[in-house]
Amino acid sequence: MNSLWWWALPVLLLPVLWHRQKREQTRSAPLASARFLPAAQPKQLRVWRWSDPLLLLLRCLLLATLIALLADLVLPWRGDSVLVVPGTDPALVEREAAAMKDACRIALPGRDAVNWLHAHEREFKPAARLLVVGDMAMPATLPRFQHQVVLRPQAAVPVQAERHVAVFSERPDAWRRLFAAPQGNMRTVVDPRPGAQTELIVWDLPQAPPAALRAPLWWVGDARLFPELARPKQAGAIRYADSARGRLWTMEDWPLADAEGARTLLASWQRLAHAPQPWTPPPQVLLADAKAPAGPARGALREALSIALLVLFALERILTHVRRR
Amino acid sequence: MLDSSALVAHTTRLELVIRHVLAGLGHGIHAGRERGAGVEFSEYRAYAPGDEWRRVDWKLMARADRYFVREAERDSHVAVWLVLDATASMLEPSRSIDGLTKLQYARVMLACVAAIAQRQGDAFGLVVCQGERAHFTPAARGPRQLQRVLAQLNRAEAAGTLPGADTLRASLHFTASPSAVFVAGDFLDWPSPLSEAILRLRRMRHDVRALCLQTEAEAGAGFDPALSYRDPEHDPESGQGSYRFGSDVRAAYARNRDAHFAQVVQDCRRNDVPVLCARIEQAPGEVLRTWLRKAVRA
Repeated sequence: MNSLWWWALPVLLLPVLWHRQKREQTRSAPLASARFLPAAQPKQLRVWRWSDPLLLLLRCLLLATLIALLADLVLPWRGDSVLVVPGTDPALVEREAAAMKDACRIALPGRDAVNWLHAHEREFKPAARLLVVGDMAMPATLPRFQHQVVLRPQAAVPVQAERHVAVFSERPDAWRRLFAAPQGNMRTVVDPRPGAQTELIVWDLPQAPPAALRAPLWWVGDARLFPELARPKQAGAIRYADSARGRLWTMEDWPLADAEGARTLLASWQRLAHAPQPWTPPPQVLLADAKAPAGPARGALREALSIALLVLFALERILTHVRRR
Repeated sequence: MLDSSALVAHTTRLELVIRHVLAGLGHGIHAGRERGAGVEFSEYRAYAPGDEWRRVDWKLMARADRYFVREAERDSHVAVWLVLDATASMLEPSRSIDGLTKLQYARVMLACVAAIAQRQGDAFGLVVCQGERAHFTPAARGPRQLQRVLAQLNRAEAAGTLPGADTLRASLHFTASPSAVFVAGDFLDWPSPLSEAILRLRRMRHDVRALCLQTEAEAGAGFDPALSYRDPEHDPESGQGSYRFGSDVRAAYARNRDAHFAQVVQDCRRNDVPVLCARIEQAPGEVLRTWLRKAVRA
């Protein structure tokens, strides 16, 4: 989309035309019988010569820089590269990158190597070889790149994740039973008091909670204690509202004894708190596809272009002022 | 006789041109009352360069060892006045012959008339209208006068506009003797102080003959459309009055010009002033002959 700005390049013709010198037609000959001719305005000839060439150059550069900034110019400057997904075993990286000795290592910000590569692909030279190593996320469709990309994934060992819950209730055992239910590779730890890691507070007491108590999610037994829940939104059996303490969930009847209801509740919480983890793709070579769409621009040169624009603008103003004096 | 006016452009020596133009024209065709040199002896005078050798008295030379010229008794009182319009517009060049201007052509014409007058023994004088002044050379006879007039003609540079009516009236005041007045100019300003002077002189019964000089380009409206033009007299160098020529204005130009010169010819005819409209590309001898004959017939 930004590259449409390149169509604005003909704007450069404006200063070129403005600086073209106007010259009065000097080729005027005396003619004794001119009095018999109708009078005419002296013609002005435009000549292909330019006044203030330095100023013209500055103005053209200024416009070109502005267009480059708007079009988000990307210069291909990266050569052969090894893209390393965070958390990858360095030994594996060494082994896989043995064939690309002088390739530079790029540490990816996250698992989504394909998206990152798509956004940055224009920075790579056309002949650059790309190798992605690590536990990258598998995209929904087969990605297309203008470069050949070698994927060497390494499936990460699944780790047991924990989440912390604080329970304030007159029936804590029932709540502990609920949280003890198996939830995949996720384990719920019920803390005696809320801490920094607490993701969920269960407030099942008849009195209002202290004002300082905060958590991302509250499960509220008595909705009347929270004025935000006076007009809640409904999602299935859960009514919810946002408050200064965090998001509040309440139900008519917490499914402390109903196994199916408990599973649904915990699955909802899981979906809300933790996005589904992507699969790791199989090792493969993505062949270069010349027709692959260019990725969105990223503003790699935005800062440099902005500074250049500022400097050029200042110079242009100074020169114009000097010329007027 | 000089066949082509191209040669006029090639020399500034009027004596040479005169000799060529007048070759075959003899003593002229002006109906002067003077019968030539030495009809009725009057006096001797010292020889001056330009005198014809046949007028030198050889017997006297043998006696005195000096050249003497026999002067004839003159009964001619006709004075010839040459009036040269040397305003800026006379610099108009011929667009087909390089280096030829109306002024050069007028110079040659008047110099020829002066030479004829000198051969006939008439007195002749010169008035050059230039730069709002009239340079006046009094009428006299003889070869020295011819040299003087030719020098004055050569010195005349086209500049400025015509002198005012009062200046011309003061300069052209030769009322005493019957005169033949030869006026050469372009007559682009008409009526003008010069035109008034011409008509006034004619009304005073002087023999006035006008030569209206034009160029082929003017007559055929054939100017370069790529150039812009300015009037040399009315708004010189002011940058105002710029004129353009093109095929679209050709007809208007021809119409304006024809109307102007029709007025000139009509005014002259009404006042019995023979006027010859000549193009400077024409052979000077032919033009001179036509001019003088026209004058005779008129």
